[in-house]
Order: sequence, then structure tokens, then C-alpha cells
Amino acid sequence: MHEQSLFASVPVHQHHELLQQLAGLTAMQPRHCLERRLIFKAYRKPGVAGRTGASQDLQQGDLQRLNKMLNGNMYYTQVVGPVSESDFGSTASVDRDTQMAGMDDSNPDGSSSSPSYDYERQPWKLEFRDIPEAGTRSAVTSRLMSSATLPRGDVVQAMNAWGYHFTTEYVVEGDMFIHNDIAIFLHRVLHYPGGDELNLPRRQLPALKDMTLFEKSGSYVLQAFIIVQDGSNQETMKTASQHLFGLREQLKSAVVLEQADRLSLDTRAK
Amino acid sequence: MSNLTQEQIKVLEQSRQRLVQLTRSLGSLIASLNQSDPLPPWTSLQSQASIISNNLISVSDQLSDQRDLLSNLVAYPGPEYPGRTQANTLEQLLRTKLDPRVEDWVARGRTAGTEPAAGQSNFSDLDAAHKPLSEAQLAELWEWAPLEANQEARRRNWGGNYTLEEREAGIENVVTGLRRQLEDDDGSEEESDGEEGDGEEMDVVGVHRKPGAAELEYNIAPHQPHPVQPFVPLDLILRHMTTGRMP
Repeated sequence: MHEQSLFASVPVHQHHELLQQLAGLTAMQPRHCLERRLIFKAYRKPGVAGRTGASQDLQQGDLQRLNKMLNGNMYYTQVVGPVSESDFGSTASVDRDTQMAGMDDSNPDGSSSSPSYDYERQPWKLEFRDIPEAGTRSAVTSRLMSSATLPRGDVVQAMNAWGYHFTTEYVVEGDMFIHNDIAIFLHRVLHYPGGDELNLPRRQLPALKDMTLFEKSGSYVLQAFIIVQDGSNQETMKTASQHLFGLREQLKSAVVLEQADRLSLDTRAK
Repeated sequence: MSNLTQEQIKVLEQSRQRLVQLTRSLGSLIASLNQSDPLPPWTSLQSQASIISNNLISVSDQLSDQRDLLSNLVAYPGPEYPGRTQANTLEQLLRTKLDPRVEDWVARGRTAGTEPAAGQSNFSDLDAAHKPLSEAQLAELWEWAPLEANQEARRRNWGGNYTLEEREAGIENVVTGLRRQLEDDDGSEEESDGEEGDGEEMDVVGVHRKPGAAELEYNIAPHQPHPVQPFVPLDLILRHMTTGRMP
């Protein structure tokens, strides 16, 4: 799969208006998202033992690229887990033993038990993104991407086994819009208070208001992107970038969407 | 030399059709000007002009869209071309230099295109200053004035009853012509912070011109009393999000 995107930096004072403008443009209410993002870094060359598994659904071009990818450079990769606002600031359920299985996450009245964040039940998704393609003629950031669902709970062990170690984590807070085939994500990065002295993902989340902003002025990043299933098809790639340019035209009086600096999205681990 | 693909031939065919349409509508305009007596009504002239202008746009779009292909094409006669009988047409097809007449047109068009940019100086001319403005100059003025007025307006700190100059000279001396006393609502704020507007700051919708762009742009985002630009540039944020490295 290929992801084509355009980025813009949105100062905090413009955020509210931009939300309204986007809501008007896309004719939908913003969907608020909170995501934990864990950064993993490869520490040995993956795929040395040879790749196994199904490959029949891969395109030939993709297959070559994937092989090169796995046997070539080492990469940073992200593990993304959606969380909700109620997960923050709640204490971990210490009395899990007293609860029966299946009772904990879907309580119909919900009022009797306080919502609690359960790290063991946190769903995760592995998201790989290649360094953006160099020297593309169209002025969009285009990169090879791939994602896979991981088992719930602790991912560090599994990732270690695959040759990745945990680097750091942060939370992304933002709003999502869908405009035809374009996904628009207006987001910013939140850090955990007190830094990350322990080298493991957190099992409990602090209160949302204690989270600190990575960008101190509170500015947002606007990413408009289209995911193209078959990146080797030039026609669809071209259509996707043209749709992005269309959006850029529509938004140009509010924000300036641009191609991101390629090296700032460099996922290669040196 | 490779043969043309179907698609490239299609492009050529399209260009030809658009050119044919253009020559046809030009021809019909010329014919109606030459033949009809009295002259055709202005509405029909105007509609013909707009048809021609649309044709021109479509030709120019086609030429610029297919620029890569068209500039790489080379015409040459095939072996079956009747070179003896059709020598004139052949020469027309093979010539690479423009017709002298056409070259004059092109030169005239080029100078017409650069004139407005170079012709700014006639404002300083004394004679020109007393002449009524021409249509083009009027249009230029109207284009210039709203921008300039808007920029002037933005320089002011709106929301008070007195200008800064008046306040500096002492507001007691200002002749307002009003019976009631104007209150100087933000006089105290002004001392603490000159940029502090009061809550009802006027929305000055921004109009500015992008360099190189023909049309004006209107900022939808209203003028903010306290714009906070991001401290961390976008690429550092993206780098942090990608690798977790702190800037």
C-alpha cells in the first residue's frame, strides 16, 4: 500500500476555526481520536532467517520491494493503540481477580464500576512506513506503508522477538475527517509527564490534563492523506495526488498544505 | 525513431480538432463582420468573442498539457507522400521557423504582455497626471486601492475612540464635534501593552496578493489578536513522531 499525504502546521489560535471549516467542508462532525504510539527500533537485521508466510496476495512489484525492505535497511516502526479519554487518569483494575472474565469491558449500565484502563486488553496495530519516495515529480509525500493487527496486551515481547526494541512512546490527540477519499487528521503530540525513565510502555495512563504538549505553543499538524492499495498503478497514484491537490486548492486560504521534508519522515534506523 | 502510440495520435487529433474549431469560429466572426450590413448586434459579436476566447483557452490548455509530447515530435514525410505534386504543403509542414507574418504577431503579443509591467512610469509624467485616467489605469487603480486601504487599516489598532496621535497629544484637545463625552475605554490598557486590543476587535478580513498569482486571496481566518506561531517547525515535529528523537 502507498500513502500519499500533504502536511501543514496549524497554529493553536487557528485550530478551532479550522475544525469548523473542515466540518463544513467534509459535512461531518470531527471524530476525536486518542492514540498511544509506541516507537520501536530494529536492532538487528530482520528477515535474515528468510521470510515465511503467505505471499500469494502480494503484487510482484510489492514483493520485490518488501524483500528489499526486509533484507536491507533497519527501520523504526510504530505500534499504535487507540485509547479513549476515560482511559486516562484511571487506576488499573487491581481487583481483576474478583471480576469474572467478560464482565470487565462491557458493563451495560456502566455506572457501578469506574472505567479503568487495562493494558492487557489494549488492542495494537503495527504500522510500518518507508522513507518517502525521493524525486517524485508530483509534489506530494508518497511512501510505502503497511499495517498489521497485533495481539492485545503486551507487545514488547513479540516485538523483541521480531528484532525491535522499544524506544519511546507518546500520545497523539486529534480529530479525524473524511472527505471523499481523503482522510484529514488534525493532530498534535502529547507527552507523558515526568519523561520516560522506564524503558517499557506504560501500564497506566496519567490524567489527560497532566499530559504535556510536545510543541509548547500547542500547535497542530494537519495531515491529509490517501491510501492507495496498489502503489504500482500509476493511474490511481496520479488520481490520488490530484485529489490531494484539489483539497489543497480548497483549503489554501485557510492553511497551506505542503509536501513534508522527506528526511523528516526518514524511518531508517542508523 | 519510434512510431506514435494510439494515445499520442489521439492527442494530436484532439489538438487538430481544437485548432479547427478555433479557425472556424474566427472565420465566422470575420465573415459576419465583412458581410452583414448593418453590423451584427453587439450581443452576437460578444457571444462570438466569448466562443473564440473559449476556443483559445482550450487550445492553449491542450498545448500546455501535452507540451512534452508536442515539443518532442518531429514531422517527416513518409515514402508514400506525393512530394512532387504537393510540394507546397510539404514545405509548410516541414518548416521549423515561423512565418514572418506570424513572427510579427508573436512579437506584438510579447510586447503587449510586458508593457503593463514596464509602463508604470507614466504616472510621474506631468502631462499624464492631468489627463483623465484611461480604462486600464482606472482598473489598475481599483485593483490597487482596496489592498492598500486594507493594509493601512491593518496597521491601526482598532477598537478605540481616539487615534494614537490624538491620544499622545492629549485627548482633551481633540475636537470631536460631539456633545456627549467619548469615553477613552482602552486608555489604561494602552499604557501597559500597546498591542492589547479590547475584546471586540474588528474582523479585518485579510486581502493580500500572492506573488505571481493573478487573483486576490481572502483570508478566511479572522485576524487574531494574539497569534502564537508554533515554536517547533513542522519537520521537527514529524521527525519526532517518526523516530521519537527529541529536537
